[in-house]
Amino acid sequence: MTRRWLPVAVASAARRMSRDRAALTVAFGFYAVVATVISTLWRTAANAHGGSIGGYSGAQLTWYLYFSEAAVTALNPRQIELTGDDIASGAVAVDLLRPASVLGVRVATELGRSLPRLAGCTAIGVALAVLTGGPVPAAAGLLLALPSLVLAVACNLVAQHAFAGAAFWIRDARSTWFLYQKLVFLLGAMLLPLQLLPGWLHTLAAWLPFVAMAYAPARLASGHVEAQLLALQGFWFLVLVTAAVAVFSAGERRLQVVGG
Amino acid sequence: MSALSGSDGRPIIAARQLTKSFETGRRGRRQLVEAVRQISFEVSPAERIAYIGPNGAGKSTSIKMLTGILHPSAGAATVMGMVPWRQRRELTRRIGTLFGQRSQLWFELTPRETFRMLGAIYGLERSDLRSRVGQLGDLLEAEDLFDQPVRSLSLGQRMRCELAACLLHQPAVMFLDEPTIGLDLLAKQRFRELLVRLNQEQGTTIFLTSHDVADIEHVAQRAIVINHGVVIYDDDVSAMRRSLLATKLVELTLAGPTDFAGMAGVAVAEHTATTLRLVVDTAVRPVREVLDALLLDLDVTDVTVTDPPLEEVIAEIYARPRT
Repeated sequence: MTRRWLPVAVASAARRMSRDRAALTVAFGFYAVVATVISTLWRTAANAHGGSIGGYSGAQLTWYLYFSEAAVTALNPRQIELTGDDIASGAVAVDLLRPASVLGVRVATELGRSLPRLAGCTAIGVALAVLTGGPVPAAAGLLLALPSLVLAVACNLVAQHAFAGAAFWIRDARSTWFLYQKLVFLLGAMLLPLQLLPGWLHTLAAWLPFVAMAYAPARLASGHVEAQLLALQGFWFLVLVTAAVAVFSAGERRLQVVGG
Repeated sequence: MSALSGSDGRPIIAARQLTKSFETGRRGRRQLVEAVRQISFEVSPAERIAYIGPNGAGKSTSIKMLTGILHPSAGAATVMGMVPWRQRRELTRRIGTLFGQRSQLWFELTPRETFRMLGAIYGLERSDLRSRVGQLGDLLEAEDLFDQPVRSLSLGQRMRCELAACLLHQPAVMFLDEPTIGLDLLAKQRFRELLVRLNQEQGTTIFLTSHDVADIEHVAQRAIVINHGVVIYDDDVSAMRRSLLATKLVELTLAGPTDFAGMAGVAVAEHTATTLRLVVDTAVRPVREVLDALLLDLDVTDVTVTDPPLEEVIAEIYARPRT
């Protein structure tokens, strides 16, 4: 079956979002402030710790945090809640009346909406990282970080839909979504590199999909030219898509039996 | 162009003993509630059907089963020869659906951008899509709305764009669930006229649910009334008009206290110093004739004429002797 709607969905949403200057300005301002504050804190800590922490210099930590924050800020912070509410209220049933995958259309549209935010945050992040942390640690790492950012957003979106799918069975699944966001912040290594987590937590986090959502692009941008991180993200993307498809298929079947 | 299907005389929609039950309550205290009970009817191609009933009667549940987004507990149904809940994807390419309370448009996009996306979903060629959007803009008099963000449109304008969105792929059957809900009088009237025009010009079958009696009179050729999940009336609107919709409610605001002597076919429901509410039996005396007489005799500052509420029509159906 043709999937011609996929690029159209991404492009339409991206085009529209790029015209929403007010929303973009708020997102960019929020990103610049938060990423600058956190990266400054870590740079100060590294300087106070003999110039590096967990193998990252102050400059590397700066690049790391601008990229980990960009990967997460690119998404609508209320996305998981909005998707979950649509499912819980039964509004998602209307989507079943189109000859296309409900999950596919939703993820493609959200990916489109995220891309202008991601592009803007990345550009601002690179400028601020150069300004506050110094030149890019490794140009090859930066080049690899760009596709990695897109993969990070895609993994996060698909995972959010899989988690939000809990609303097919549980009326109020908000606590699950709250937990999900915290897991991305901590185990996704958005606030601090994976290497700074305690040993057991580091090991655990390394085996979880959250690393694909913030850690991977940030690690690459911080001068670690580890192309295998892209492969890891690709792997988790496929796993998460499989999980989300399974959740939505089961959820849609349930919706067709018990109603919305 | 005709959107007809089933021109071989077969019904375009058929429901036989269609039933849907839902479980409610907590575990251990589960109760089975029958939202729709053994409903049966057939719809011919290009018919305009009003499927009406009060809130909670089972209208939306029926429409969800007929569009395939809900499985029935028992019974059978076909739409254009397809079993909706088994062939949902295939069916969605040939039917249009409009839910008055749930938008199918993307709020951040303009209607034209939404159409582009829907065109891709329905596999329309770019040139076909362009000409179709142009046709729909003319038909719905909505061309100037297509480039405004959906969120900036009024409800009436949005409903015209919603209608365009579900007509994009030239469906043979349109299912509309409470499409006039929330619209003001003028917007409602315009929307009803559009549906009739669509049916007459393109042969699209209209299956409309509503709890507004005026929707029946102005859109439908045939009315199916459902209450507590059961079909209680199924007849032509002309017959219904004679037997059940013969009364009109007339409310007059008076300039001051006045006497009303009464007239044949008119019953007084309320009479105060400033208000006179009448129930007019149009089978005895046309409402226009009553208004002419009242405006001549009384000092009237305002007049409203309304249909009886659906609950009264349903009470009338139950009160009639069974045949």
